[in-house]
Amino acid sequence: PISLRSAYCAASVASLTNILTPELFAGTAEWIARCQNWEGGIGGVPGMEAHGGYTFCGMAALVILKKEHLLNLRSLLHWVTSRQMRFEGGFQGRCNKLVDGCYSFWQAGLLPLLHRALHARGDTALSMARWMFDQSALQEYILLCCQCPAGGLLDKPGKSRDFYHTCYCLSGLAIAQHFGSADLHHEVVLGVPENCLQATHPVYNITPEKVVRAVMHFLQQPVPSLEPAS
Amino acid sequence: DEIGLIPCPEARYNRSPIVLIENKLGVESWCVKFLLPYVHNKLLLYRQRKQWLNKDELIDITCTLLLLNPDFTTAWNVRKELILSGTLNPLKDLHLGKLALTKFPKSPETWIHRRWVLQQLIQENSLPSLVTKGNLGAAPVERIHRLVQEELNVCSEAAGRYPSNYNAWSHRIWVLQHLGKLTVKILLDELSSTKYWVSMHVSDHSGFHYRQFLLKSLIGRTVTDNNVLVQNQMINEQNASLRKEEESAGAEAACEEEQSVDLPHHLEEELELCTELIDTYPGHETLWCHSDETLNNFHHSPATSHMAQAMDVDGLNESSSKQGYTQETKRLKRAPIQDSLDPEMEYRFIDKVLSTCRDVDQARFATAYRKWLVTFLGQ
Repeated sequence: PISLRSAYCAASVASLTNILTPELFAGTAEWIARCQNWEGGIGGVPGMEAHGGYTFCGMAALVILKKEHLLNLRSLLHWVTSRQMRFEGGFQGRCNKLVDGCYSFWQAGLLPLLHRALHARGDTALSMARWMFDQSALQEYILLCCQCPAGGLLDKPGKSRDFYHTCYCLSGLAIAQHFGSADLHHEVVLGVPENCLQATHPVYNITPEKVVRAVMHFLQQPVPSLEPAS
Repeated sequence: DEIGLIPCPEARYNRSPIVLIENKLGVESWCVKFLLPYVHNKLLLYRQRKQWLNKDELIDITCTLLLLNPDFTTAWNVRKELILSGTLNPLKDLHLGKLALTKFPKSPETWIHRRWVLQQLIQENSLPSLVTKGNLGAAPVERIHRLVQEELNVCSEAAGRYPSNYNAWSHRIWVLQHLGKLTVKILLDELSSTKYWVSMHVSDHSGFHYRQFLLKSLIGRTVTDNNVLVQNQMINEQNASLRKEEESAGAEAACEEEQSVDLPHHLEEELELCTELIDTYPGHETLWCHSDETLNNFHHSPATSHMAQAMDVDGLNESSSKQGYTQETKRLKRAPIQDSLDPEMEYRFIDKVLSTCRDVDQARFATAYRKWLVTFLGQ
């Protein structure tokens, strides 16, 4: 059975290593689109509840496959923006659940993707300086609530630190600090300037320079053939 | 029927850390750091072909491992091999999984393994009866039915043990789709049996989402019921010699049922449930979401928009006897056929909530609902 997370991993790897072919992902985009439900977000399988992690994987995979317009972008935008918590500033993974630092990336990371997709469609209402979520509020949540005094980051106050939350809190912070669209770049840094992180690529979550280097490197390699080695 | 860890950091007495009281298994926590690496290591050595374990040992070791850490995929996979080789009864794994879920209600690997086991059981179910017609103890349909009931039970328990248990509700949907075949009967049964549960868990978005799944599946059923009826008759004719008699009878009965689903009634009931809960428990976003979407179903499904008009004539008597929100039910019954809501009535409902509620979140949800109406239904 297909899995959304695997689809995203596969698309991510295949596109960076230049082995992406239409045959490899035949039907994948359509299946992902079926996972979008009435809430506007994307669930693990068609029919399931919309969930931040799956929504990111689905959207990012579709962006890689250049099929993001199979989704109802407007209802997706409505769903994800509703997931930012008005009191905490961070994001929840699903409706009526608690805030969690890791969704700083899975959810907030959707907004750059949506921004780009809507821009490609010729939407004139898009901002030239901000993503469609409260960037300052998210930074406040991460910096004030998600840091462990001994180092590392976490889900919410009271939880213990782990590498997963450290990674995704930082990734979310990077998203919240940097707005970029084509030649435009606009920074919003809460607190001291030293808080500013490097920008991260919203599809792959590595720095944009690394994405370019990876793509360039693999473009220069011969594409492996499908025949088994003798 | 339940497992748990007993907080007990030191072994004070020279006795077994296993405690069994009233059919509930407890493990004193001090022993875990010895036991887990020991069994884990044993299994890994077996997998690496460095140390042989016989079938009984394997069963014991994997059982112990999984009760301590059910997300250990390798252990479940060892059991898959044992099941496939006929050494292990798949029903044992259903029981083991059920036990593991009492302590680890989310465990993804446990749910995944469960679906694999159920798939094995379904396949096993259909094969023998094709080969040897007749009685195999309980009729296959009866066996499936019992399996389904047990799965629904396991899902309920797990959902109660962890709020918004995505994996449990996901499994429940899978069971309805693959074991229950999404029959009208099961959809309606589930609607009524989960009604009380969601009323007791008003922030459980997964629970309410499940009800949306049920309603939408029902809508899907009624829209295509005529097609299904014809198709089933054709299938029955073709496979008359091969098919079990019970299945044919079952399919025909299902077709007859499908024609009698009162969709508007169920959607209305759902809306009433929502408004009652919204009133009783102000400030739960899930309830508002569910309410919005239920309304959406009502006005956007072809079957009900047709029926909405038909109800207009005789609907008034019923609505006057219902308490509260009479205005709302009347509004629904007068909705025009062309899938569009009368904005005036909706705004009046919102104003009513805004003027009478004292909860800040409730007010916010009502205001957001108004904006939502303008954006999504005003087109």
